[in-house]
Amino acid sequence: MFSHRLLAGRSLRHYFRAHLGVLAGAALAATVLIGALAVGDSVRGSLEERAKERLANGVVSVLSTGDRFFTPKMAELIAPHLGEPPNERPWREGHLYLERSRLGPVMAANALLLSGTITRQDGTARANRIQVIGVNPGETIGARTNYLPGPFLDFNNRQVWLNETLAAQLSANRGDEVVIRIHKPSALSRDAVISPRDETSVAMRLTVGGVVPGSYGGNLSLLAGQTSPLNAFVSLPGLADAAGLAGRANLVLAQTPGYVGDTNSIRSKATGWMFRHEWYRYPLGRVFIPRAPEVPASLATTFLNESLARTWTLADAELSVRAVAPDPKLTGGEPAPAFAELTTRRIFLEPAVVTAALTNATTSGGPGSTPAVDPVSAAAGQSKGAGATAPSPVPILTYLVNTLSHGDELAPYSMVTAAGAPYTPAGLRDDEIVVNEWLAKDLGVKPGDTVALGYYRVDAGTQLVERTNRFRVHSIVPMRGLHADRSLMPEFPGLTKAESTRDWDAGFDLVHPIRDADEAYWKQWRGTPKAFITLAAGQKMWANRFGELTAIRWFAGTDQAGQVRDGVAAKIRADLDPADVGLRFTDVRTPALAAAEGGTGKEFGGLMIGFSFFLITSALLLTAMLFSFSLGQRASETGILLAIGWEPRRVRTLLFREGFMVAALGTALGVVGGILYAKGVLWGLSTLWRDAVNGAGLGFHITAATLATGVGSSLFVAAATLWLVLRQQAKRPTRELLSEGAVEPGPVGADSGTRWPMRLAVGASVAALGMTAAAGAARSSDPGMFFGAGALLLIAGLLWVRAWLRGAVGPTARTGSASGRAARAPVGLTALAFRGLKRRPSRSLGTAALLASAAFLIIAVGANKLDADRDATQRGSGTGGFALWAESSLPVIQDLDTRKGQEFYGLDPKKLAGVSFVPFKVRDGDDASCLNLNKAQRPRLLGVKPELLARRGAFTFTGLAKDAGVTNGWDAIRAKPSAPGSEVQVIPAIADANSIQWALQKSLGDTLDYVDERGRPFKVRLVGAVANSVLQGNLVIDEAEFVKRFPSESGSRAFLIDVAAEVTRRNSADTDPPPHVGGHDGLSADLTRALQDTGLEITSAPKRLAMFNAVQNTYLDTFQMLGGLGLLLGSVGLGVVVLRNVFERRGELAVMQAVGFERAALQRFVLVEHAALLVLGLGVGTLAAGVAVLPALMSPGAQVPWASLAVTLLAVLLNGGLWTWLATRRALGGSLVGSLRAL
Amino acid sequence: MSAAALLELREVTKSYPGPVPVPVLSGTSLAIARGESVAIIGPSGCGKSTVLNLLGTLDLPDQGSITFEGRDLTMVSAKELAVFRNRQIGFIFQNHHLLPQCTALENVLLPTLADAKRAPADAEVRAKKLLDRVGLGARMDHLPGKLSGGERQRVAVVRALINQPALLLADEPTGALDRVSATGIGRLLVELNREEGVTLVVVTHSPELAGLMGRTVELRDGKFVNVH
Repeated sequence: MFSHRLLAGRSLRHYFRAHLGVLAGAALAATVLIGALAVGDSVRGSLEERAKERLANGVVSVLSTGDRFFTPKMAELIAPHLGEPPNERPWREGHLYLERSRLGPVMAANALLLSGTITRQDGTARANRIQVIGVNPGETIGARTNYLPGPFLDFNNRQVWLNETLAAQLSANRGDEVVIRIHKPSALSRDAVISPRDETSVAMRLTVGGVVPGSYGGNLSLLAGQTSPLNAFVSLPGLADAAGLAGRANLVLAQTPGYVGDTNSIRSKATGWMFRHEWYRYPLGRVFIPRAPEVPASLATTFLNESLARTWTLADAELSVRAVAPDPKLTGGEPAPAFAELTTRRIFLEPAVVTAALTNATTSGGPGSTPAVDPVSAAAGQSKGAGATAPSPVPILTYLVNTLSHGDELAPYSMVTAAGAPYTPAGLRDDEIVVNEWLAKDLGVKPGDTVALGYYRVDAGTQLVERTNRFRVHSIVPMRGLHADRSLMPEFPGLTKAESTRDWDAGFDLVHPIRDADEAYWKQWRGTPKAFITLAAGQKMWANRFGELTAIRWFAGTDQAGQVRDGVAAKIRADLDPADVGLRFTDVRTPALAAAEGGTGKEFGGLMIGFSFFLITSALLLTAMLFSFSLGQRASETGILLAIGWEPRRVRTLLFREGFMVAALGTALGVVGGILYAKGVLWGLSTLWRDAVNGAGLGFHITAATLATGVGSSLFVAAATLWLVLRQQAKRPTRELLSEGAVEPGPVGADSGTRWPMRLAVGASVAALGMTAAAGAARSSDPGMFFGAGALLLIAGLLWVRAWLRGAVGPTARTGSASGRAARAPVGLTALAFRGLKRRPSRSLGTAALLASAAFLIIAVGANKLDADRDATQRGSGTGGFALWAESSLPVIQDLDTRKGQEFYGLDPKKLAGVSFVPFKVRDGDDASCLNLNKAQRPRLLGVKPELLARRGAFTFTGLAKDAGVTNGWDAIRAKPSAPGSEVQVIPAIADANSIQWALQKSLGDTLDYVDERGRPFKVRLVGAVANSVLQGNLVIDEAEFVKRFPSESGSRAFLIDVAAEVTRRNSADTDPPPHVGGHDGLSADLTRALQDTGLEITSAPKRLAMFNAVQNTYLDTFQMLGGLGLLLGSVGLGVVVLRNVFERRGELAVMQAVGFERAALQRFVLVEHAALLVLGLGVGTLAAGVAVLPALMSPGAQVPWASLAVTLLAVLLNGGLWTWLATRRALGGSLVGSLRAL
Repeated sequence: MSAAALLELREVTKSYPGPVPVPVLSGTSLAIARGESVAIIGPSGCGKSTVLNLLGTLDLPDQGSITFEGRDLTMVSAKELAVFRNRQIGFIFQNHHLLPQCTALENVLLPTLADAKRAPADAEVRAKKLLDRVGLGARMDHLPGKLSGGERQRVAVVRALINQPALLLADEPTGALDRVSATGIGRLLVELNREEGVTLVVVTHSPELAGLMGRTVELRDGKFVNVH
């Protein structure tokens, strides 16, 4: 039975060849769209995999305390509070389970994470900035998959396991010897004057035990980034011993082992049985092991913190409360009163600890407050009976002073205690001092005399700022009892254990000679303070960012001291929030997955789709053109169907169905093509364009939703294209279709139909120019603006072309007909060629649009290419005019700009003449540069003295926040932060404009949330942006603000190195002796060698900038590939149009030949016509691209690669010309005369 | 309007658009009775085909009316006109306009697909009978490409008759045929006019074909003149 379906089937088969074009166009559009979506999915999916992998596939929450070290017991103590352990015996010792009905099991593993460097024993390879991770042998780190346990690192103290990246970098194999040098954490910040300078690092000689694959937790990292960290796993006890941290750790990894260790359910028992029998080793076995429930990371973190709050100990906060009954033998033979004492390993008690210890208590010497019942008084009262007086806390600050002098007499390096009663008499004024007998005798002072006290400011680091205060001697105390208490001296590292003053490592040079008397004092009295001042006077001199007290004592009878100690400990446990001393679990999985979702990876996917849009449009234009040709061939068929009574709608439906079936088939091919295309792009990204993703291995991922979106969108746009073409065709009268075929009417003058496109063109132009101006004013290179303005300009340009082709603009529009022009001048061949363009306006327009899209892509992409070497020595360039960028693994404590600092590291100051350093303090965080595809959540903070950059006028600011209120950009971070009373402090920061836009996806004025090292939240506000610079990836804040938030971050770990121009010239002139043979390379080599223990790595600043630029340039290369494909489409379109036009007009051309035109003239005629089309298309595309990228090009610091742009444009033009010429030759080949018969 | 006229053009004017509109018909009238066979002749470009397009509702006049059985076709919607053409008119063109992808039988049945619901149940039987009638019984499963020019035109004639139209319009039906085929088609049309009772209007340059018709009118200067 003859039916519509049968008719459609017959038509499909019959016009198969004609449909091939539509098929190819639809397939190409679908390929590009699905491919672009799949690339986005793949980047996202790969980053998510990486994010899970760096959390060892199982870590949900971490307690990371950095330079604070807790006792590993803590993790075990948490256990009972997390829930009952499972009935089944844990399958490894040391694993603790969190059993909550809503949670899966969570186990906590202790670790010690330190930074360091590693070298092969034979010195052939080295890696800086590695993570040295101490874990308990046999302990699981993360889970390999959702149901497999992680590795059981089985090693002894002499072994190290490397992750794959580090092993590859060192070319290390099992059994190789390596030396790991770690930063030896100090109890006191290295920035404290009294912190020891020697032994800041320690080396461990170890044997490589094996390689830990990434899938087994080898890439464990707490920072977001898609590149693998350099990890060395060693035994926790071994590492702790080497670092002087025996029995301590600084990391708890709360993990989901993937093992459903739940209780009595049959399923759980079955799972346990399967686990014990290692079913997970076999793929089939894994099918039967149920996946562990996803533990909500935030919920797990909440429970962990609740448990932590119940179980933490003072030792975990590095606090110690002890009961002391001083030995009379050590206090001059007179017993001193017993006391309970609170001290810290960190020397200075942190404010939160002091607050917890002193709240609701009356302090001696402190402001009066009402006595209250607290654990301390309760404990005291318990032993003394009702009505007993609670012991008052005595806050104490003891510090090392350089000199105590009176006239010519000087006692060097003595301890002085600042405290209230009973150490100082009531009523002691802040300018009065109590000295002990020894000092009084030594200086020859008596009450009423003046003693000068010289000291270094506590947190001045290596700068050694010395101050002097004068005190009047109030009284002299005997060398016995209370005032002969050597335990008043905190356990300053470098001093406490010294047998002799000669063994002191005070952290600074002992410039004052130590006399025999001083040595004798040390031997007899050790650190017994020689003088006492009021607490207020002491704090005025020595209060610092680390704290204001070194101890708090509660005096009690010998028999009560123990109870008071317990009371104090209980009170601090009750009143101190462990988060205030850095003890806080943080959900790491949620932000890690969020980082993988956003960031430049997402932007890359977005840009890929954005640029693909133009290619998709080109493919659809070509589809439309070829479909139109196909319909043209079947015009009479359409005509006869209409003539015999088919409704137009039914005819359109018939043809639409047919076209849609072809488009659907094309889309199906496009699915395959899209997958292959995406895989091709991913292959490109892992090989040719690996810079774009900074070497991140990207695996293919596609979700069902993406596929459905891609297929649906492809079908929709293909259908819409076909429908539009059919609508156009339907406007042809039936008689025309029957008699002439689908001949478009030529232009008939500026009819009313051409007015709306003109209005639209004007409107689109105005809108695009408005967007461009707005973007320019905002100094923004927002891609949304770029694509929006670009698309509008393309549309506007093409509407102008359309109007010209239809005669609404130009001479014919003014005269009303072509004859007006003809009347003025005879029609030449060139003029005739231009008229040829207007014969098929839609066809000409389609071709111009194809070429315009391609030109737009290529020019817009090319205009954004960056050159790092350009103006690299200029201060306004991306290098800031600096020659080198350096980063170290371990902090550089000494000031490299001083002779002393240079000599400390064995550098020759003469060779460093003309070389200066801008040091940055570093708080590690996410890499917010374009090298990181993840969205940076908390970027690395750099603390700098802003004047160092301001006075050099380094870098170019692209913008400052409106309320920054400064003219010099670097002054913006010096702006005062919010008032101290405000709830959350806000600190101004400057960052690279690219980091702000892409990696952070923020704008100037936005804030980011941070937590300082004491767990207090603060905000960092972006107040300034510098153009495309080596500072990418970081937020730069004022060093003064930095040290307030991160007092433990000592020294500097990043440097910009300035080399004066004359030094560079001297180097290049090779003067004798050259300061640095080999120019900057020589300087780099010298510095690297001298600071090798700190793991200093030096890069040339232009090279670092080039590395960042490589990302953008490679992105652009990828997109330029799209432009290239677009150009190919445009060229194919142009070729097809040439062939089609000539084919349709062979008769006319034959006539022209018959009347005497030579074949070469005819070729020129056809070539001119289509070359005009080529120039028109490329012109519109170039113009649109030029205007769209104008804001980016005009932004400060932008570079316009005019030369490469010109070459690109010329190449595009030549390419188009070549295709046109080839198509012309092909079309005009053979005999034209035969065509005359068709006339 | 003439009492017996099936189709009537009254004071019809038509010109083609352009920078300077080209007038084709100026106040032309023509009445055609049911069952009549009429040949329209005239020089090239005089507007013969335009008249046929107007009669077949493929085009609309600028002025004047066209009535079919007293119904003014210029006042009818495009959708109704399509149904009207499908049910009441059969077209034959100089170029057969057969669908190359369909067999002769399928080409004949093409009009029945325009409105499948209204298509006569015996359409296929009738198509075969008609194809038999025009001597193509043995070639009805052939594609147009396998048929001669005369055969293709005969298929086009049968296609025009499949829905038993009241009016058959033929535009130079023999123009592209050799003399023998042209004579055969001419006779076939006249026979079908008689057998099927269908009114036949033929536009032709051929005096032989025009001679076969019951009446011949000539279009001269945009107006009809009776020849015989």
